[in-house]
Amino acid sequence: MRRTASVAMVALLGLGLAACSAGEADADLNPDEVSGEISLLTPIFEGSPGQDLLEDELLPQFYEEYPNVTVNVDYTTYGNLNEKLTTAVVSGLVPDVMLMGVGWIEAFADKGVLADLGELGLSEDELKESYTDEIVEAGMWDGNVYAVPIMLDTRFGVARMDILKEAGYDSPPSSWEELIEIAEATTVRSDNGSLERAGFDMMSLDARQAFETMLFSAGGALFNEDATEPAFNSDEGVAALGLMADLVNKYEVEDIGFTSTDDIVNPLINGRAAMGIAHNNLWTQALEADESVLDDLEPFVIQGDASGMFFGGTLATVANNSKNPQAARALLEFLSSPDAALAANEQRGNVPALTELLDSDYVQSNRFVQFAMENLDVAQREGGPSQWLEVRGDFAPAVQGALLGQKTPEEALDDLAALVQTAIDR
Amino acid sequence: MTTTERHPIRSAEAAAKQVSPSTAPKKRKRISTAEKKRRRAGWLMITPSVIHVGLWTLIPVIATFYLSFTDYGIFAAPKWIWFDNYVEMFNDAVFMQSIGNTVWYTFWTVPVSMAVAVVVAVLLNQGLKLQKFYRTAFFLPQVTATVAIAMVWLWIFNPQYGLLNAMLETLGLPGQAWLVDPQWALPAVILVGAWQGIGIKMLIYIAALQNIDESLYEAASLDGASSIRKFFSITVPMLKPATFFVFIISIIGAFQVFDQIYVLTDGGPANATTMMTYEVYRSAFQEFRMGMASAQSVVLFAFLLFVTLISRRVTKEED
Repeated sequence: MRRTASVAMVALLGLGLAACSAGEADADLNPDEVSGEISLLTPIFEGSPGQDLLEDELLPQFYEEYPNVTVNVDYTTYGNLNEKLTTAVVSGLVPDVMLMGVGWIEAFADKGVLADLGELGLSEDELKESYTDEIVEAGMWDGNVYAVPIMLDTRFGVARMDILKEAGYDSPPSSWEELIEIAEATTVRSDNGSLERAGFDMMSLDARQAFETMLFSAGGALFNEDATEPAFNSDEGVAALGLMADLVNKYEVEDIGFTSTDDIVNPLINGRAAMGIAHNNLWTQALEADESVLDDLEPFVIQGDASGMFFGGTLATVANNSKNPQAARALLEFLSSPDAALAANEQRGNVPALTELLDSDYVQSNRFVQFAMENLDVAQREGGPSQWLEVRGDFAPAVQGALLGQKTPEEALDDLAALVQTAIDR
Repeated sequence: MTTTERHPIRSAEAAAKQVSPSTAPKKRKRISTAEKKRRRAGWLMITPSVIHVGLWTLIPVIATFYLSFTDYGIFAAPKWIWFDNYVEMFNDAVFMQSIGNTVWYTFWTVPVSMAVAVVVAVLLNQGLKLQKFYRTAFFLPQVTATVAIAMVWLWIFNPQYGLLNAMLETLGLPGQAWLVDPQWALPAVILVGAWQGIGIKMLIYIAALQNIDESLYEAASLDGASSIRKFFSITVPMLKPATFFVFIISIIGAFQVFDQIYVLTDGGPANATTMMTYEVYRSAFQEFRMGMASAQSVVLFAFLLFVTLISRRVTKEED
């Protein structure tokens, strides 16, 4: 079935290729004519289970279809991907196929490292038939397609309904006001004032991503439309960071240091938080840690003036200077095909980017992934300008500064915006 | 005649040899074939090291200096911008904070770990039972990967489940959010740095202690000196060369702290624990600003050179 689906995907892309472009590069791939040794740099499929999936299941299927292609895999993690890519570019040994994150495409496409997939036959319109618009745009730069999505990481609100029900609430909050109210009602402190349960947890998630989720729920955006100026220091941005700071300092529904990104068990699983912003793989974590809480975990879109849901993810790209572009393209198409993408998502507990996979058994059996896919139309991504990778590291200190009361939300965001603008103008 | 007096005949010969080079007749020393062979063999033997140092140290150092005056973002050729990187760097509040943090980190970790190391070394040099076990135990942090160590310290510092807060609780003291509270994050990192640095310093001190002539202690004992007096009057002065060496390598090590910051705090919260090396990393691999990273590396190098020269000067004066 997987092979059939892969062939179908290749055929589909081939059709698009014939429809939207011209020239030799647009010819459909003939598996017998595609050959060569190519390299794949991947921040997913790491660790034994991922490696087994790729090498024992997926690549044999690929080789069955393209017997004359050899793939050398270079495994890494997202933590090391930047260094890997940087040194690869400097040394001129750019891998033929690179998997990279949302927000990364702009930088590498702008610098000419990535191949324009439009020249290989992939058009924006065609991709938008299979993915939501925002997801397709995550792989685009300057109007051209440079990447095809494989999997998504989403962040949204999650409530422990057993705790909320104890406090007299039947459903997760549907507005910021309700969020504050429920968070206050479910926060538990001991007699000496130390926090025992956070009403709303934001600290077990990267500060930048937590802010982005709240920013989107305020109706704000990271950058202006042509990504030439920061927009996160708008009224919406200040309100979003203001709410986060107030939840800590005014409403006291969470203390600094109560949870952290290093926590092994998510506070929503062990009941140390009643609500929080969480990654979709919380479902998989709960499945492994404590199955009994699964029924009590309720996902919700954080609702302010807009719907707050954030997505990142992994996309497949081809190097601009690949010596075997047809082989690289074949691998890209294979990895983003429904079966291969589904297997990779299932292994990591992630959200498939392909809309058609909503009906798959995996998605239907994982309520968080299903919820994420059902709400992808409101999900927004980070990134925008080609300098995103340069500036994204500045977000966490700015957000932390506001949460710690070192700066007002307005000051923190204005200072950050100045830094970002300098980088954009550089 | 004491041994310190100079022999009149030899002194005269020596004086005669010390003729000004400009006035002395240039005599070409004849080198024997055997000597030539020896020299050639010597050069051959050091050639791999010279090539290695040239290729992997000298060229990168020169390149770093050159790139520090350029705008180099990897994807395009370096563009010469004179001192712009330096001007920007010294106007960057985060980099200035990283200098302050690095100096503060060094100020605490170096003396603390040196003081503990010398005490531990002296104690472990007394012929205690289980001496080998203790030496291994103290040296273990040195040979354990910093990342693994940092993971253990992450648990120790965990505000909820951590060992440190549990200990404080038993003493009736309030726990802290060690790594996420700007007030405590840097001291927590300093504690890890000081602890981790004890092993190698202890080893050097033990080696130095074993070279101290026992007769000095025996003579002091005969004079009725106490253990503390012997420590300060014999051990400490005799350890001076080792102390200087340990001091220099400790400063260099402290200025180069990176991995524990990377794992423990990622420079946070709100840049409270960012260090110079961490900023170099951020500029190079997060911002792709190799020119700026090179300029920051040059400043780091200048700091180390300055501290080393000062230390040498102080030690020379004392000698």
